Amino acid sequence: MAKARATTSRARSAIFAPIGDEGRAVRVENRLAEAIRSGVLADGDRLPSELELAQMLGVATVTAREALVSLRAQGLVVTTRGRGGGSFVRAPEPGDVVKGRLATMSRVELRDRASLYQVVLTGCAELAAERAAPDEVEDLHDLLLPADEEDVGRWRDAESELYLSVAALTQSARLTREVVRQEADFGTLLRVPLSESDFRQASGGRHRALVAALEAGDVAAARTSVRDHVAHAVERLTEIHEVVRQ
Amino acid sequence: MNIDVSGDCAVRIERHFGAILAELERMRTEVAALFASGPVTSDELSAQVEAGTVEFLQDPNLLGGGFVVAPDALSDRRLYLAWWQGAGRDFLGEAEVPGTGETMDYTRQPWFRVPERTGRLNVAGPYVDFVCTDEYVLTTTLPVYAGGRLVGVAGADTAVETLERMLLPCLREAQATLVSSTGRVVVSADPHLATGEALTSGRKEGPDGRLLSVVQTPPAADGASRTLSGWPS
Repeated sequence: MAKARATTSRARSAIFAPIGDEGRAVRVENRLAEAIRSGVLADGDRLPSELELAQMLGVATVTAREALVSLRAQGLVVTTRGRGGGSFVRAPEPGDVVKGRLATMSRVELRDRASLYQVVLTGCAELAAERAAPDEVEDLHDLLLPADEEDVGRWRDAESELYLSVAALTQSARLTREVVRQEADFGTLLRVPLSESDFRQASGGRHRALVAALEAGDVAAARTSVRDHVAHAVERLTEIHEVVRQ
Repeated sequence: MNIDVSGDCAVRIERHFGAILAELERMRTEVAALFASGPVTSDELSAQVEAGTVEFLQDPNLLGGGFVVAPDALSDRRLYLAWWQGAGRDFLGEAEVPGTGETMDYTRQPWFRVPERTGRLNVAGPYVDFVCTDEYVLTTTLPVYAGGRLVGVAGADTAVETLERMLLPCLREAQATLVSSTGRVVVSADPHLATGEALTSGRKEGPDGRLLSVVQTPPAADGASRTLSGWPS
């Protein structure tokens, strides 16, 4: 944690560096919003006053005020009055961060990332089915959640760990590292639809099919279950993308 | 071909893994004493084991090492890895699920689960460790108890690449393969026997319950695969 704070303070000074004359309320707003969404400004952090903010960023007080009004409207900042009052950072829910990222992505980029994810993960499933020993696959049953599990966070973590485990079963460190990268990058987006009960049920079925295929050493079935899952998730994600982009 | 030239391999294996075992036993004593003295926090645990672990990790043939707690053994955290690894001997603390940042539960990993179940020293792998190093490793772990309760495992990682460099010359001489307790190839003189491949199917334990075995490959004309040496011997 100490290490994270050290980089944060450097990132903080960049945020509060003068923004220049053409800096208008929108630019102030965007810079602060980005810092809040990325976690550089943490939940509960006190923001400088309007006057201080204006001086630090080199903009008029009215511009800083305008930006704060907009951040308040987005729910990213709360202002309290009286002694000990001021403007404080309100960190968005993790799901909102992901949706925020989705909103900045084009349809082409989404498809591009999904293609890479799909090829890497289906390839891992094939190799894992060839190479995994029965006792190694047995361990994966712990990652199959009961159909009535309603904790979306648990579904997301379990699915991420299932795919990482499948990557590790290829016995290739490079492939596994690539999947770690993919999970941190695209995996979080791909798990947005897990908030829907129907999608969770379908996912659970495909994950069970994947583990059964790995147990049986069935390369084609392992591939199919991952491919179907990624395709379905991307399909739902594209629909959600359409909504958040509008 | 009947001359036993695997002696050199046995010596090298003992030198490396014997040193690991000696260190894990030392750490076991240290950690058991700490837990016997009352409730322990994550900071107290790290402070206790850091000096000894970092000293031990001066051996460049080790990838990482430390102490990993059993769930709820500490007073302030459920899961914790007092673990140092990599070239910079970086401190780990906790493992995260990529993307979500949630704490990853390592207790289902064989390096934790097997010694938890058997109560004995274990060598897990070869496997790709996505919890700690993201490398292809063998993990040696020793369970540690305090007050009759498992408080965690003392462990050390060895990269498979390190073992290949260390053992391939002597394995070639002996025409042999280093095999894990689950019958997986670790390093082989035979280039067609890939690391991670199952040499013996379904065997749970190596000969005589050994954690590592040096087995002649290919098997003799009568089909019997001769075990040349093992560890612990």
